[in-house]
Amino acid sequence: MTKYIPLFLIVFLATATLSIAQSDNISPARKQAIDSLALEKVKDLSKYISIIGSKETQFSEANRVMDRAEELFAPDAEMGVSSINRTEIAYYKVRRYFERLMALNYDRVNISWYDIHYISDLERQPDGRYVGVVTVYQRFEGTSLESGLNYKDTTKKDITIYVEKKQTQIAGRTIEFWDVMLGDIRVTETAA
Amino acid sequence: MRKIILVLLTIITSLQLVPGQGLYSPGQPKDDGRFAASTKQVNQFFRRFNAEESVDGSKRFYEGDPLFRDRQLRSQFLSILFDNQTSSVSNDLKSEFAKEVLAQGLPQYLNFHKEGWFSEVNAIFNYKGKQENVTLFLKLQPEGLGYEWVIDKVNFAPFKDIFNKPEGNDKGFLHPLSHELGFMNLRRAFQDSNTPEAYTAKEYEPDYLTIFLYEMKKGSLKFETIKNVKFHFFQINNWYFELNQFNRPGNNTGWLISNLVRLKPGDKNAILKYIYDQK
Repeated sequence: MTKYIPLFLIVFLATATLSIAQSDNISPARKQAIDSLALEKVKDLSKYISIIGSKETQFSEANRVMDRAEELFAPDAEMGVSSINRTEIAYYKVRRYFERLMALNYDRVNISWYDIHYISDLERQPDGRYVGVVTVYQRFEGTSLESGLNYKDTTKKDITIYVEKKQTQIAGRTIEFWDVMLGDIRVTETAA
Repeated sequence: MRKIILVLLTIITSLQLVPGQGLYSPGQPKDDGRFAASTKQVNQFFRRFNAEESVDGSKRFYEGDPLFRDRQLRSQFLSILFDNQTSSVSNDLKSEFAKEVLAQGLPQYLNFHKEGWFSEVNAIFNYKGKQENVTLFLKLQPEGLGYEWVIDKVNFAPFKDIFNKPEGNDKGFLHPLSHELGFMNLRRAFQDSNTPEAYTAKEYEPDYLTIFLYEMKKGSLKFETIKNVKFHFFQINNWYFELNQFNRPGNNTGWLISNLVRLKPGDKNAILKYIYDQK
């Protein structure tokens, strides 16, 4: 019997390692729930961008919304912007990007979002957090009344999402939940 | 009653600030199919190539799903994964490729985590006050609890110009009895010659990445921006293809195969040399 003990131990340890490794894996059902959560954050961001860009939004209100929008992002997140004529990426801190959006020199601005999105798989980073990318498309229309000029563009926004399992205490019990933060955003002007 | 009306008015007024402009709000522009058709992410290229998602991309298929890696679906996807507007990949070559990838007995799939694919990134750096193009080669590697992209190689013209090992009669050397003189003639290599690399072993190859990192640490090389990204794939047996991003009107857009080569023995090394040496 004693000769089987090492074998049992090996099998036991192997199973234990597997279950530890699997405990942090994301099942298809969980992935779907995380996708929905990520999409909610992206929806919030899209709404905030529309408010910040709108010329009908008061300065103080726009600043308040910028604060809200910034809270969606992980620290140090950046926007990387390129256009059809300039493929090099221009980098902006998220706040700076919002401020530039607010200061655009148009009398009327309309920002809307296409009815399509794409969500990547979630990949695990070295630190154990998961990362994914949500792609959405935005239409921008700016009108200058004085010159009568009307500028339109459609941009593809590839938005990084960080997914992390967190814990909180509720009535003395530890509850685990998945949290989603937005990260760097790549903004590409489309030729469409 | 007045209070209720006041509250309702406040809500309605605040709603009108942004009339239905968020994601999935009424009145949003409708995609006419171009964005749906576009291969929007490299991730989507993998999923389409392997038939691991629905036609519209809204549903991810997993093992056990009836359409997971479905042969017919894969065949449909493969036909839209080529750049059909600017690349010169013949239809015959595409068919041969599809036939081997979709082979009944031994279909081949792309694997995100496995070796056999890497990225080529064209970036702009400031080198000693001047803008210079730099080509970085990045690969995916396991690290810690997950994966990371790492810089594998770098190609930078100013470095290549520095190392030019002379050949034939132009090549300096240390004669075979130099050891008897305690290598006093090393002075020729290090002081009198401007090509000290002439005195290195046959197998010597300059390590540009180390020099690149050294120059960056010294402060003479500063990152500015990224210009272009593409990917090279060697994961399908006896085939090489290049993946590029196409941003143009129409349905044939996004991440598409722009170059396809059937590999004969020895071709892989020749192509790798071509890619890394930057022609």
